Amino acid sequence: MELKQSLGLIAPEILLSIASLVLLLVSAWAGDKASRAISVVACFVLGACFFIVAPTVCAGVAGPDVVAFNGLFTADAFSGFAKLLIFAATGAALVMAPKFFERTNSMMPEFPVLILLAALGMCLMVSATDLMTLYIGLELNSLASYVLAAFLRNDERSAEAGIKYFVLGALASGILLFGMSLTYGFTGSTDFGTVRAALTGDMSTGAMFAVVFVLAGLAFKISAVPFHMWTPDVYEGSPTPVTAFFATAPKVAAVSLLMRVSLDAFGMQADAWRQIVLFVALASIVVGALGAIGQSNIKRLMAFSSINNVGFILIGLVTGTVQGASAMLVYLAIYIAMTAGSFLAIIMMKDEAGAPVEKISDIAGLSRTKPALALCLAMMMFSLAGIPPLFGFWGKFVVFQAAVEANLVALAAIGIAASVIGAFYYLKIVKVMYFDEPADVVKGQSDWAHWALLIISTAFISPLGYLLTTWLGGIADKAAATLFLVAA
Amino acid sequence: MTAFFESLGMNYEWAWFVATICGILLIALPLMLAVAMIIYVDRKIWAAMALRRGPNVVGPFGLLQSFADGLKVFLQETIIPSAANKGLFLIAPIITFTVALMAWAVMPFAEGAVLADINVGLLYILAISSLGVYGVVISGWASNSKYPFFSALRAAAQMISYEVSIGFILICVILWAGTNNLSDIVMAQKGAGLGIVNGFFFNILLFPMWVLFLISGMAETARAPFDLTEAESELVAGYQTEYSSMAFALFWLGEYANVLLMCALNTTLFFGGWLPPLDIGILYVVPGFIWWLLKTFFFFFVFSWVKATVPRFRYDQLMRLGWKIFLPMSLLFVVLVSGYLMLTRYG
Amino acid sequence: MIHTIAFYIFAAMVIASGALVITARNPVHSVLWLILAFFNAAGLMVLVGAEFIAMLLVIVYVGAVAVLFLFVVMMLEIDFAEMRAGFVKYFPLGVLLALILVSEMILGIGAYSAGSMHLGTADGVGTPLMGESNIRSIGALLYGRYLFLFESAGLVLLVAMVGAIVLTHRERGTVRGHQNINKQVRRRPGDATVNTRPEVGKGIEL
Repeated sequence: MELKQSLGLIAPEILLSIASLVLLLVSAWAGDKASRAISVVACFVLGACFFIVAPTVCAGVAGPDVVAFNGLFTADAFSGFAKLLIFAATGAALVMAPKFFERTNSMMPEFPVLILLAALGMCLMVSATDLMTLYIGLELNSLASYVLAAFLRNDERSAEAGIKYFVLGALASGILLFGMSLTYGFTGSTDFGTVRAALTGDMSTGAMFAVVFVLAGLAFKISAVPFHMWTPDVYEGSPTPVTAFFATAPKVAAVSLLMRVSLDAFGMQADAWRQIVLFVALASIVVGALGAIGQSNIKRLMAFSSINNVGFILIGLVTGTVQGASAMLVYLAIYIAMTAGSFLAIIMMKDEAGAPVEKISDIAGLSRTKPALALCLAMMMFSLAGIPPLFGFWGKFVVFQAAVEANLVALAAIGIAASVIGAFYYLKIVKVMYFDEPADVVKGQSDWAHWALLIISTAFISPLGYLLTTWLGGIADKAAATLFLVAA
Repeated sequence: MTAFFESLGMNYEWAWFVATICGILLIALPLMLAVAMIIYVDRKIWAAMALRRGPNVVGPFGLLQSFADGLKVFLQETIIPSAANKGLFLIAPIITFTVALMAWAVMPFAEGAVLADINVGLLYILAISSLGVYGVVISGWASNSKYPFFSALRAAAQMISYEVSIGFILICVILWAGTNNLSDIVMAQKGAGLGIVNGFFFNILLFPMWVLFLISGMAETARAPFDLTEAESELVAGYQTEYSSMAFALFWLGEYANVLLMCALNTTLFFGGWLPPLDIGILYVVPGFIWWLLKTFFFFFVFSWVKATVPRFRYDQLMRLGWKIFLPMSLLFVVLVSGYLMLTRYG
Repeated sequence: MIHTIAFYIFAAMVIASGALVITARNPVHSVLWLILAFFNAAGLMVLVGAEFIAMLLVIVYVGAVAVLFLFVVMMLEIDFAEMRAGFVKYFPLGVLLALILVSEMILGIGAYSAGSMHLGTADGVGTPLMGESNIRSIGALLYGRYLFLFESAGLVLLVAMVGAIVLTHRERGTVRGHQNINKQVRRRPGDATVNTRPEVGKGIEL
């Protein structure tokens, strides 16, 4: 009976794994021509998973009833919220991909399968309540990501991105694993609850090392400074749909994982890790903002933008409060809409031959040749910069609000100041598109699916998004509360 | 046996030590004799199938032919090619021969007649048989000659490929018997077929596995029709090309010891080992060892028969068979067997 | 006593062959020493009563991984002179690292034996079953408590395999010597041969 209950709780994961196995077999027999059909089926699978998870999030389920497999896995509302974002972001990446790869005849049916398996890995990450589940989920996602980064195997930059990501990712896994083994050594358990109980009171230096190594390993995954160095190269080299995927779904998974590890497993030692996270958050904001300024490739610029945004998200973690956690979730939801929308706009910028346009100088004067596309991208940029009428502002606002209420006024002030620096490079893109002489490079036509998705995400981040604040905030509050309920 | 030596006044450890040494000799020496005789039998069988007479000069019916051959190679000079890697060149046949003998340690010849009655017996056999490839690979490389080297590459690929499906086949047997210990596997076959046939082969789920095992066993020991490692029409004599004298004889002995082991495994895993073929009281009068010997000899006859009649596979066909047919088949049967057992025995 | 002797033999062999792995001049010899080290390590496992792990070590590492490793090393053309030069260049750095590691180990073990390090007590999840062979203990944990992780780890391996194939497999069209076995088996003598009685002075039409 116990097993049956557990299997019921992992229904979305089971659906994802069975679907990916079946689609893998289909792709083995049907070959490259089935790629598009497999992508469509994969999207429907993600949709089905979305609707399986959604009710649990709305109900705000939590507690021992949703813990499966003797405490290895939890299907609480917090993990559910993260999964919804992951499914949405993964679906967006799937929609972007076929058109992009088909131009060079490099679409393979394994692409959607790998994306599904990566999504499965992320589901395990956000639901992990045991260090072993955490690690297996992380590796499942990472391995699929390495392959996805090198998916254009005849393209040098893509191969380079794959190798770089793989080597540095393996190093980060090693660091994480070392931290986990230290954690096990000093607490005698891999279960988050037991670790939390064992790390109560004064912490030994060894256990401190464990916390630092685990956090460092996870910081790599969310590309927070000082573990961000892989991000620009990998984002630039990977195929654009894959970059869009990297910038959205794994970020959500890794941030949620980091939240659960630090607030749950290491929750009693918040004072120990708060300093570290504080430094990481501020450093990410500053490095992300300054690093972006000199970039001429828009994908590299987006990489620094993601580093910068992770910094803002981590401010919520520094507070260590329910409100902070809820603010992080809201920020994540808005962030993936903005990032996915930006990458959609980037994919839709094609030259006459249909080849992707990535140089910022090539999109000069886009407002005159492609006004609709330019408008969408401009709104995305304004939103990422956090300029008030747009929804991106709300994300930053709730995070800073949480920081202020947790008496971290100085932190909030530095963050706001840094976001002003960050606004500079976002606005530069807008300036290039609207006020420079047209470079007349972007000419290609785009798929209706891309337009539809772009319009949806633009509508979400437009001032219309504010209609959702109460609803989004309510769900995020519920989800964040479950995280603290388990911890308590 | 340990108890016997203890009764002679030794302490336990010494008694155990001496008993083990005696056990090893009791297995190894008759095995060597058996290998010598089985080579003779092998040649006689091929000869009969080719309408020839085979060895018939040395001793009565040519029975002493193998010993004459042995004496001949023993007296020959061992030639080491000047470009060879001397140490490894000489170690390779020793590895082949030693490994071929090591696996016999867990083989039950009759009830209780087993040197090491360990509970990971089948895994031990799998582990030791996976070592066999080193003799071939090292000899091929150390000879510093192209035909042996090709042969070494083929051997490595071939043995690894077939070990995978052998592993899955063994899993089916282990699941059905519920144990890894070879003696217990034999006992689990008592009356396994309709309560009267001793042996797993009389079982709709395990019979196909036995067929796969027989064929994979030929591939694993590089017996015809899978003797691509020494395919004389392509590679002269494969990894043995540069060998002569005792080194060559050791390969020869090791190879036949391995073939015998495969026959013995067929007997033990699927045909009830030392048990009589049918679970009838009167048949138990014949000692278990005789039954074991008869069955093993029968399988050796099958091996010879195949060698004499089936043409050699091409290399790509061999790989195709291993990876595209045997592997999925054996995997499917692991699922079927475990599913059936979950439904009936453990459900 | 035999136990003790066996331990010292295995342990000495592991250390000696480990040392020879890094000092052997020929990389193929290094791999062979490595295999010997694995094999003796398996012997040590047997001595501590972990016979299942020992067998797996031999089957997986010696039987499969090392064979492929040997395969690769044999095929490689390695420039020994260059390797030697690199060795000399990085020797001081290597010694330094080794010294640091050794001193860390001494410090760590020293601190632990002096009682100043407080390790956690194991939660007892992995305690072996009483009176059962260690295969059963491991099986009970893998297929019981950790079934979920076991299956997920299987998916990780699947992803690795799919990834390797996606990144390296290239269609090469029909390979020479490709055969359709079905077609061969279905072919009957009648399809291939005909009996004709050509008239004198006329050839046959094929």
